[in-house]
Amino acid sequence: MKYAGQLLAYAAFFAFVAFLSVRPEVRLLGDDEAIVSLSFSHAANRIGECQRLTQEELLALPPNMRIPDQCPRERHLMQVELIMDEQTLYAATLAPTGLRSDGKATAYQRLRVTAGTHDFRIRMNDSGVPGQIDFEDSTTISLQPGQNLVVFFDPSNQQFRFQ
Amino acid sequence: MIELLQSFARRLLWLPSRFLRWGFPGVENPMNHLGSLTIFFCWIVLISGIWLLIFFRTSVSGAFESLEYLTHQQWYLGGIMRSLHRYASDAMIVTIALHIFHEFSRNTYRVTRWFSWVAGLPLVWIVFILGISGYWLVWDELAQYVAITSSELLDAIPIFTSKMAANFLQDTSLSDRFFTLMAFLHLVGLPIFLVFGIWLHVFRLSSPRINPPKRLMAGTLLAMLVLALLFPAVSQDQANLAQAPQTLQLDWFYLHVFPLVQIWSPGWVWVLLTGISALILFAPWLPPGKAVKSAHVDLDNCNGCQRCADDCPYGAIQVVPRSDGKRYEHEVVVEADLCTSCGICVGACPTATPFRKRSPLVPGIDLPRSSAQVLKESIDEATATFPLVLSIACTGSPELAWLESNNKAVVAVSCVGQIPPSYLDYILSRNLSARILLTGCGGGCRHRFGMDWAEQRISRERDPNLRRRVGAHRIAMAWREPWSSLGGLKKQVAALEKQAQEDNR
Repeated sequence: MKYAGQLLAYAAFFAFVAFLSVRPEVRLLGDDEAIVSLSFSHAANRIGECQRLTQEELLALPPNMRIPDQCPRERHLMQVELIMDEQTLYAATLAPTGLRSDGKATAYQRLRVTAGTHDFRIRMNDSGVPGQIDFEDSTTISLQPGQNLVVFFDPSNQQFRFQ
Repeated sequence: MIELLQSFARRLLWLPSRFLRWGFPGVENPMNHLGSLTIFFCWIVLISGIWLLIFFRTSVSGAFESLEYLTHQQWYLGGIMRSLHRYASDAMIVTIALHIFHEFSRNTYRVTRWFSWVAGLPLVWIVFILGISGYWLVWDELAQYVAITSSELLDAIPIFTSKMAANFLQDTSLSDRFFTLMAFLHLVGLPIFLVFGIWLHVFRLSSPRINPPKRLMAGTLLAMLVLALLFPAVSQDQANLAQAPQTLQLDWFYLHVFPLVQIWSPGWVWVLLTGISALILFAPWLPPGKAVKSAHVDLDNCNGCQRCADDCPYGAIQVVPRSDGKRYEHEVVVEADLCTSCGICVGACPTATPFRKRSPLVPGIDLPRSSAQVLKESIDEATATFPLVLSIACTGSPELAWLESNNKAVVAVSCVGQIPPSYLDYILSRNLSARILLTGCGGGCRHRFGMDWAEQRISRERDPNLRRRVGAHRIAMAWREPWSSLGGLKKQVAALEKQAQEDNR
């Protein structure tokens, strides 16, 4: 009786452990769904123009601070919009990072969309000029179910890429 | 409110404990060894993990392939080790959860016992981080999901300037060095903190039980081996960052909050996790408990024999060089912060004897509220009518409540370990009662060793011993099995009364 009880106890405990270690399955995406991942970091323009100092002004500064171009540190807010088939998937105003708001702004979003052929357009304003589109790219992509489409900003070519 | 919750927790634990009693009667019930079982699972995880480490390759493609090799080509050893590693880790979460629940239900985490409870919280976090980081190393679809989701969780903490999750969107952004870092964290960094955390968790306990009974260990290991052969742990499809997994077999023990990251948001998951952690962290003071008056030493009566220090379950008594110029080498000092006022030290003190003529009775170590003198007076009062059976029961126990409600002669003590054997001698040799019943704390002593020490003193295995002239057959002990009813106690009281009546004839 005692050993039967032990057998039952071990079986029940480890059946519970084995079951919950793999079941129930979790469904992350529907059969006809894909993922669009928007992810990039970009430094928006500074909030003001750099000012070039004259030779006299430079000499008036301590030696370690004699930088010809004096620029404001803070950067503009950055506006990003990702559109799929004329529907806005993502739109955000992104603040620069850093205590002095002088770092890059970062966009990161994973979006579930239906698989199939879609027109994508992305635009960004990083100059702080209202209504101006500083960067814009578009493409048509046929998304397979489960595909992960990554949209990012290529800093070397200064353009968005869909990959 | 807390008492209600504790009572509810006891009721919830009653069912599994009753079920376990069939196979594990008495002290072998796994519900009495939840902490040591967790450490046993830790050992299995460590040893199996060392085997996996030998074959593990810390690179993007090598990680998955090396585990596939272990699982399929070397299934007879590597595969079994992998399964043991997985199932012991999962079982550990169950025993940790039950351990927390069990201690909460027994109210053994408050006042001076807060330290082990609070020190246990970082341990829980370390175990979870270890488990989650382990899933990264497999680099299958589950690892991909875990990597992205846990990065999203970390990115929600507003101290990082760039998004960690961005590293897991394209295969090109992932380097072999990442696996070296994760392997270091999982195999070296976190285990060091875990070992240190376990040490801290039991730091304030004297003679902590690190290992469960051998038969329980053997049975558990055997059961896990059978499980490893029947349902070996396997990887899911290899990670492919260009594809998002559609369905996953989730390990719900470690990853139960991950789906919430998608349903709610990483920020709200942090609110949930920090909220639960804060609740556990401050539980010992919700509401603040009454301060315990610690045991105190009377140097005039203390000869520095150290028995109290040996028996204290909390290491609250220190032996120090004599300070009063008496011829003894040592004296003892009570650390008030550690003392729970259980009285086990009084039970160990040879000077706590009711045969002493000096009045009032002042032993070398005593409790301020329930002193040796008060105990003697309580016994005298309870035996004024010469009851057939005198019961000595732990304060707050259901046993005491039942004895009192049934008008049985009973003396309440902080812990049965508080009663020195000389008091039992006093009751029986003076014929104050025909039989003595020691009872209380069904399902495990609240003060860890009270029942064990009482048994060993009566059976003359532990100092101070019960004197030979006392018939040990006249002393009975009724320790209820975990979560059993009071039926056994009722029967035992009736049997003792019957024996006493027969003696009188």
